[in-house]
Amino acid sequence: MRNPVLLHKTASQVQQELEACIGCNECLLACPALDEPLTIDVLNRETFGGPISAPVARFARSCYQCGACVPPCPVGLHRDAMMMWLKIRLYRSGEED
Amino acid sequence: MRQDHAGHRAPLFKGSEPPSIDRADIVIVGNGIAGLTAAIQARSFEPDARIVIITDQNHPTINTPALKQFAVGKLTREQLLAYPPGTERQERIHLIHARVEKINAQGKFVTLANGSAFGYGSLLLATGSTPTALPAHLPGRDFDGVLTLHRLQDYLDLRRRLPEVEEAVVIGGGAHACETVMCLLHWGIHVHWLIRSAGLLPRMLDETASEMVLERIRQAGASVYTSTEVVGIVGRMGSVIGVVTNHQQFIPCQLVVACTGTKPVTDLAKHCDLPLKHENGILVDDHLRSSVRDIYVAGDVAALKNPLTGRYEPRAQWYAAVEQGRLAGAMMTGHREAARPFGVPWHATHLGDLSMLYVGNPLQSPPGSYVLTDTSRGGYRRLLLQGERLIGYLSLGPMQPDSLAIKRIIDEELPVRDILKGLLKGEFDARQYLSRRRTYSAQDLVTSGRLASVKPSPIQHQYQQTPESIPAVRSSEPAAEAAQPAPRLPTTEQLPPISTGPSLVPQRAPTSQPAASAPRYPILREEEEISPFTGSLPALPEHGQGGTRLNSGSLPASQEQGQGGRRNLWAYSDPALPAFSRRSPAQTQHVRSYRERQEGGR
Repeated sequence: MRNPVLLHKTASQVQQELEACIGCNECLLACPALDEPLTIDVLNRETFGGPISAPVARFARSCYQCGACVPPCPVGLHRDAMMMWLKIRLYRSGEED
Repeated sequence: MRQDHAGHRAPLFKGSEPPSIDRADIVIVGNGIAGLTAAIQARSFEPDARIVIITDQNHPTINTPALKQFAVGKLTREQLLAYPPGTERQERIHLIHARVEKINAQGKFVTLANGSAFGYGSLLLATGSTPTALPAHLPGRDFDGVLTLHRLQDYLDLRRRLPEVEEAVVIGGGAHACETVMCLLHWGIHVHWLIRSAGLLPRMLDETASEMVLERIRQAGASVYTSTEVVGIVGRMGSVIGVVTNHQQFIPCQLVVACTGTKPVTDLAKHCDLPLKHENGILVDDHLRSSVRDIYVAGDVAALKNPLTGRYEPRAQWYAAVEQGRLAGAMMTGHREAARPFGVPWHATHLGDLSMLYVGNPLQSPPGSYVLTDTSRGGYRRLLLQGERLIGYLSLGPMQPDSLAIKRIIDEELPVRDILKGLLKGEFDARQYLSRRRTYSAQDLVTSGRLASVKPSPIQHQYQQTPESIPAVRSSEPAAEAAQPAPRLPTTEQLPPISTGPSLVPQRAPTSQPAASAPRYPILREEEEISPFTGSLPALPEHGQGGTRLNSGSLPASQEQGQGGRRNLWAYSDPALPAFSRRSPAQTQHVRSYRERQEGGR
């Protein structure tokens, strides 16, 4: 919390983490904000790029960065940082409309 | 129609029906994650190439590591898909359901099981691995109820059998066996776990770590038998009723699961007309090229050289397969620059309820190395160091450390003196460490007009505080470069030699070079950094410097380093791959006016 700039990962790091995701879904199972079925492959793909579908957009908006997704990850990835990227992409795409 | 909406393939060849495609630019054997990743990567480079995947697997590509979650009922089958349904069709990748029997490398075609031939421009073998079943001479190994767990079908089979099982025997001492034990315990089955060696994962865990995991698993309810082997399986009327161990003990059970490892499927290497080198896997170089021209190998079947031991060994892991698939896709479309070294072995998983991370070779003891261990915070960490370098890291505990960051520290040989305590105690803050390093390197890049060096020294930090003393641009430094010790790895002309900390001093002496030649930025920070608190997007350079932003994509010279065997500081971003969308100046203007409107409205 010392420096807000250091709080999340850069795009390239997020990209590498997305590649390392093994798709076990543990993060989504632990998520308190997810209230509709969503598969990890769709989430990963739309975090990475391309159009954002309505369920993923709803999920990204309802994510409140609690971090519950981080400890269950067997690989040690930071789903919270990926979600932050999705939020930023959503923010950008909303402005382009 | 060859594919239905879910991307499933209907068999293309029925009986003697002739093949409709007889040649493709890129032919991939196997639709595991390596094969499909390669196909998608190749498509991104070559929009018009004909890409064909030939596979005898009857389901789309799945997240195989998620099968253990499927086994405990946390996931449905649909959630196992590795890519969204229809990806293959969307990417115009043809899928052919057939078995490849032979490779004719001279004529550049493969022969399918139905006798037809299929030509290729480049061929990728991604045939994966197959479980090492129980030894062929073991009595009773063919009774019903003796399983291996490797494919989706095996897990479907397991789930169907579970209601009838009260006691099960798991054979094997690896991570897969551990997962299987936990899965069966989850269903309330009493598990007898038979491990041949004295401990778990003898090549990855030391005695302390192994005992720690085994103790947790005993507490969870399993009976663990170390130094125990099965000498026979006992059945009645065709199905298993128990096993006999080498200690003459009979263990009753209704299910025997053999988790005794996997071996690469190298059959095609044996059926190739030119010698395709293979031992334990098909041997490949750092560019995934096999010993035969135009044949590439990726995934579990590829045996890569371990940079620390020099031996060729397969890396049967998910992340390795994804990385190799991407590289293979780039190589087959002639994009050699995408190659970068795979670095040290890396494995992160759960062992029981503990998270295990294994990077490098923490159990070896090369000359001059020393080991540090720590057992605080309910975990165990073992660091193998050589001088100031970290060369192996083993961690076991309730939390997984930032595994990719630790791999990067070992791969890039970053000094660890300042972070040693954090690494040892398991409280290493990778985000802060790497972010600070990136800031230094960005600073260096901007003030010098050069590419970042791999190891920024504290000297660069001083420059950060005194931006007036802009250091020299590269053209004035040949003498200093010559004075340097020969770099270990070849570098290109555009690229400064990889500098070690102290040797930077002569290089950075201020000269009369005009400072204006270096682009200036008002704020020296990574352009991708965005404050999550304010939601503010990063400020872009005000005046027409868009082409020289601090984005690895705009540093073509950094790609040349691929040959060098060492990753640079920008290695996190892969310049050959589509990056996240960057905003154009017009968009920036748009955002700015939007923000002003927002603020005006309040």
